[in-house]
Amino acid sequence: MSGARWLAIYLPRLRTDRLIRAGRGPSDDRPLAVYSKEGGAFQLNGVDARASVLGLNLAMSLADARAMQPALQAVEAEPEEDARALDNIAAWCERFTPIVVLDPPEGLFLDISGCAHLFGGEENLRAEIVTRLRAQGFGARAEIAATPGAAWAFARYRQKRSAAEQSLRAQLSASLADGDDGLQSLAPLPIEALRLDADAAALMRRLGLKTVSQIAAAPRSSFTARAGERAMLRLDQALGRAPEVMTPRRPAPMIFALRRFLEPIFTSDAILQVAEDLCIDAAGKLELRGAGILYAELVLFGVDGRDRVVAINASRPLREVKPLMRLFREKLNVAAGNFDAQFGFEAARLDIVRLASIEERARALVSVEEAAANAEQIGGIIDILSSRLGAKRVVRPQLHEQHEPERAAGWRSALGKAKVEATPVNPPTDGVQRRPVRLFAPAQPIEVMASVPDGPPIRFRWRRVTREVVRAEGPERISGDWLRREMTRDYYRVEDKQGRRYWLYREGLYGESDAVPRWFVHGLFA
Amino acid sequence: MAGQPLHEIGPAGVGFEASALGFTLALAASWMGPAGLFWAGEDSAFAEEGAPYPVGLAQFGLSLEPTIVVRAKKREDALWAAEQALAATGAIVICALGAQGKPLDLKASRRLLLFAERNRSRCLLLMPANGPSAAWTRWQVAAAESNAIADEVGPPAFRVEITRNRAGPAGSSFTLDWNAHQQRFSERFQEKHAALEARQA
Repeated sequence: MSGARWLAIYLPRLRTDRLIRAGRGPSDDRPLAVYSKEGGAFQLNGVDARASVLGLNLAMSLADARAMQPALQAVEAEPEEDARALDNIAAWCERFTPIVVLDPPEGLFLDISGCAHLFGGEENLRAEIVTRLRAQGFGARAEIAATPGAAWAFARYRQKRSAAEQSLRAQLSASLADGDDGLQSLAPLPIEALRLDADAAALMRRLGLKTVSQIAAAPRSSFTARAGERAMLRLDQALGRAPEVMTPRRPAPMIFALRRFLEPIFTSDAILQVAEDLCIDAAGKLELRGAGILYAELVLFGVDGRDRVVAINASRPLREVKPLMRLFREKLNVAAGNFDAQFGFEAARLDIVRLASIEERARALVSVEEAAANAEQIGGIIDILSSRLGAKRVVRPQLHEQHEPERAAGWRSALGKAKVEATPVNPPTDGVQRRPVRLFAPAQPIEVMASVPDGPPIRFRWRRVTREVVRAEGPERISGDWLRREMTRDYYRVEDKQGRRYWLYREGLYGESDAVPRWFVHGLFA
Repeated sequence: MAGQPLHEIGPAGVGFEASALGFTLALAASWMGPAGLFWAGEDSAFAEEGAPYPVGLAQFGLSLEPTIVVRAKKREDALWAAEQALAATGAIVICALGAQGKPLDLKASRRLLLFAERNRSRCLLLMPANGPSAAWTRWQVAAAESNAIADEVGPPAFRVEITRNRAGPAGSSFTLDWNAHQQRFSERFQEKHAALEARQA
């Protein structure tokens, strides 16, 4: 885990901050608390700054709190709303890194490895996050360390730093960063800093283990009880000795590139410029992997806290900036109208979600071999058409091993590989067409005015025109799918006096029911 | 005709839309090269006459693998898609317009011609309405009676008339049978053609 950097955010007053921000706090200067029912009693589980100053804390029951502060405004907890607020904050944090891990009920982890330099160093990044969360109404503390566990402990239990120390740290952040989160800094912290549940922490305290240093000093073999093992594991994780699985809120992209702007950007030209810069950044990383982009998302982070996502799809792995930019241009042209960039964008990130290896050989031959060049051209055209019109509108034909005419063929996005045929259909050697080039879905009813019993119509009416049948072949019997309650159909290929050809069918067998058989035109032959 | 980049094809009357399409597809199938076929059509063009049916297309002699169909919501989208597709060197592009709306303006067809000339691709403009156009030729297509014995239905057959020809005389008409297996047309005997005309008149 060398080089990993984690930033832990702690939102100690998330529950009350959320209410105040939503305008549901007290209108005067009364204290605010949130309570929930625990074991038959109402227990405080959130207090605002004012309530805290007045001596209310989370160990109290609602009744005690009211006795102390009769003016208290108490709101019942809404855990789902709290979780949503935390998730929204996590989404907002994705402008700093794509890897944001939820740590409910009131924390977040940000993997900032390799990101901090974009924000002027770790200390500036930390300060920016805290300041901006405050500006949005959320009191927050944040700390950075080499492991999530250490960052978590510092954010909650380390004494507030003096202003002088902070400026010193800002100057020396790089050199301080390394030695900062070893056992030395963790040792003086209380036992709760090891992310233990309340029962485990209480047990430790009963055993006289009050600080991290005491746990670290105690012989490992004495920790056989579950709570102790847990504490030991948490300590090892905080020190980077034991691995810890972190699941990001959104799957982490394979590769990403991030830019933030000193001034917000508004115009689509500026967005395109940024997209190009990001593509260039990503191209370098792709080159190292010998891969190209199949699916990527350009995430634009609005100053107003709202994000916009522009996704591109490629039919084959792309790494060159030019074709990538053509796709973005198409997408942005379409999307520009939907962008409400009133406040501008402050950062952008290109997430490469799916990639595939590019065969070096193919790349070298592109200019030489015309077929390859052609395939490349066509791939590019498919990408552009699909991104402007939508992948569902740019399709390849497909054949299926199905008996029913409606299900024997279909269409799928042209972005996939060209593979159509289960069993290829060849033109019949006599050149006579058994299936129409156009199929009506659903088949259109016709009015048969005269017919040979159990045979084709002699005259029929369709689209208000009467047609005289001069030639007919059939029937071709296609039995319906019993499961779908379809009737047997007898198909006829007929030609009218003008030479027009139709694919007609009669539904149901003669004598199958008393109803008059119904006729349909299912398709037209050329 | 095969050497020219832009042709216009339309039905000889209401009810012959399938014939016009068939003639267009037959041309596309006989010209198709490695760059394949793009078939861009307005939704209305697909909806009124039924959706393209891959099984039938394969039987008609069209190679499905290099075929790509673009369903455009609007006429402008269909034309734009056709222009984009014409950028593929040697591609065959069918641009199918619906019956609704004004005839295509001259500028739009000039653009298609330009794209096709530049990239050695070819465009078949399938449109019901006749109007001024930059196309080299316009073909009016009707169905022709089957060339088969008794009451059997024969291979696809077309009666085509050249109504405009920038490179030569217009007005000639003939009857063609399409051989899907060999992917080529054969012209029908003159007397039979005359007889058919007499019958239709």
